[in-house]
Amino acid sequence: MNPETTSWDRPPGRLRYVAWVPVALFFLFVPLFLPVYLQGILTKALIFAVFATSLNLLAGYTGLFSLGHAAFFGLAAYTSSILVVHYGLKSFWLVAPAGVFMAVLFACMFGFIALRVSGTNFFLVTLALGELLYSVAIKWKSMTGGTNGLVNTSAPNLGLSWLPVDPPFFYYLVLGVSAMSLLCLYFVTRSPLGVALQGIRESEPRMRALGYNTWLFKYLAFIIASAFAGVAGVLFAYHSRVLVPMHLGVTTSTLVMLMVIIGSDRVFLGPAVGAMVIILLEHPSSLYTPERWPLILGSIFVIAVMFLRGGISSFLEKTWEKAFYASAKR
Amino acid sequence: MESLSINVLNGIAFGMILFLIASGLSVIYGFMGVLNLAHGVFYILGAYFGLIVRRHEGSFVLAALAGGLAVGLLGLVLERVFLSLLHKRINEQVLLTLGFVYIFSNIVRWVWGPYAKLIDPPAFASGTIPIGSASYPLYRLVIILMGLAVAAGLWLLNNKTRAGSILRAGMDDREMTVGLGVNYGLVATVVFVLGAFVGGFAGFIGLPIVAVHPGIVFDILLLSLIVIIVGGVGRIEGVLLGSMIIGLIDSLGRAYFPEFAYFTMYIAMIIILLVKPTGLLGRAL
Repeated sequence: MNPETTSWDRPPGRLRYVAWVPVALFFLFVPLFLPVYLQGILTKALIFAVFATSLNLLAGYTGLFSLGHAAFFGLAAYTSSILVVHYGLKSFWLVAPAGVFMAVLFACMFGFIALRVSGTNFFLVTLALGELLYSVAIKWKSMTGGTNGLVNTSAPNLGLSWLPVDPPFFYYLVLGVSAMSLLCLYFVTRSPLGVALQGIRESEPRMRALGYNTWLFKYLAFIIASAFAGVAGVLFAYHSRVLVPMHLGVTTSTLVMLMVIIGSDRVFLGPAVGAMVIILLEHPSSLYTPERWPLILGSIFVIAVMFLRGGISSFLEKTWEKAFYASAKR
Repeated sequence: MESLSINVLNGIAFGMILFLIASGLSVIYGFMGVLNLAHGVFYILGAYFGLIVRRHEGSFVLAALAGGLAVGLLGLVLERVFLSLLHKRINEQVLLTLGFVYIFSNIVRWVWGPYAKLIDPPAFASGTIPIGSASYPLYRLVIILMGLAVAAGLWLLNNKTRAGSILRAGMDDREMTVGLGVNYGLVATVVFVLGAFVGGFAGFIGLPIVAVHPGIVFDILLLSLIVIIVGGVGRIEGVLLGSMIIGLIDSLGRAYFPEFAYFTMYIAMIIILLVKPTGLLGRAL
């Protein structure tokens, strides 16, 4: 492991967190003045930021590159929408936990199966398990609507009658839930569990020799990551309003892996930055050359893997710290 | 009884198609440890390149070889220009191939459109042969023979040649192999080109049975993955066994439990993963 890429062991310097102030201000206030469609793009970016960060708990921190992470995202999305559409449940407080619970339930099963293998085989087993759910979503037409999709146009019902139900409200709901999810994931990575996961990534035999039950740690990481993918999935169901089997399948799984790699799998917020970049690029591309978007995406991916070794955000972080420490020395 | 034997024969033929589909992936994965996610793209590119030659030259065999060669050349470029720079970084190598899936499947859609392509079997292998009172398409038997020939060729390469022993040594301990003076970079390139060739060749050979369009790249990849999960990687016998099992399970499943037909191969995969995670004949990677 190259020491300069481990960014979480930096010497403390509280002042360098000052960079977060404009970011927080931006997300809190700027969307109020943006047109609705731009607000929607930011909403989607926040949702995928949580989704990508949850994958990074597995990929970057534990070294388990899953190509089936969208299974839990889509499962939670479908579960909450099916409850709304087919069972008439309206309350967000009921529907959202049910979606996340379903993601966790399947993570317990899939994690058990997928962790039977290690190394490169993990790629292929997670991919195949994700595709299993994808084909269920295609075949189970009475529940999922098959390839026509499942339409759920209702806004999340929080049971608070004084709340307005308009796009800014949904934006702030997503902002709140994402911020809390990212905070939770951050504490997980800083907890003893998170440190143990990094140890497993570096050398699993050594961790085992130290007496850690590495299987259990990886299993826990898989379940936690899937739970937060589920959180993102529930929000996405309300944002997208139409769910198609693709949202469970390899297309979405690889998209979110792309976000992680482009952003950086070595910085906590790297995947979130990657998600922002991809979602923001997707919009102009869908206006001008919707057919060529996969080509652009693939090229970005190849460039990121080949040349941007640490990802965009480790580049940003290094530049910022260089500038910050240079000005502090003066 | 006769329907059972037809179902079994169908299963074997489908298994052989699966073997041809999976063999290109398993060569690269089993011999050099790189999971080539662009395999589905190699497969359909072989079919499309072959179609060009078939249209201009007319020869089926020549078209299949040309499809394989064109994809092999593409593999050569990808390996030399990109993959070989990511030396020892297995995860990055896998993710890189994922980028090429997006790029090439989009280019294929751009150049050839989203339509499915299917061709007639060549004249020497069209028609049917009688089996009992039923008749069976001759081309499926040709596929079975072709699959056996590819399997035999790969087995001989891996087990009876010097290149094969270098490959096996490289999978066991790459550093030691390089330390003994073997030019492993060259070997890796040759393996990647060979895997790409087999993938592209299979794409055209399968064309009279498996229609090809840009949307199937992940389906092809997925079928190959299920086969090598069940059979195991590293040995060509494992891939052959895996594809036979999946082919038979799928074909018998379709005949006797049609409502679960789609999921029988997943169930087989999950059982194998729980019982023997390395696959039936696989070695740990």
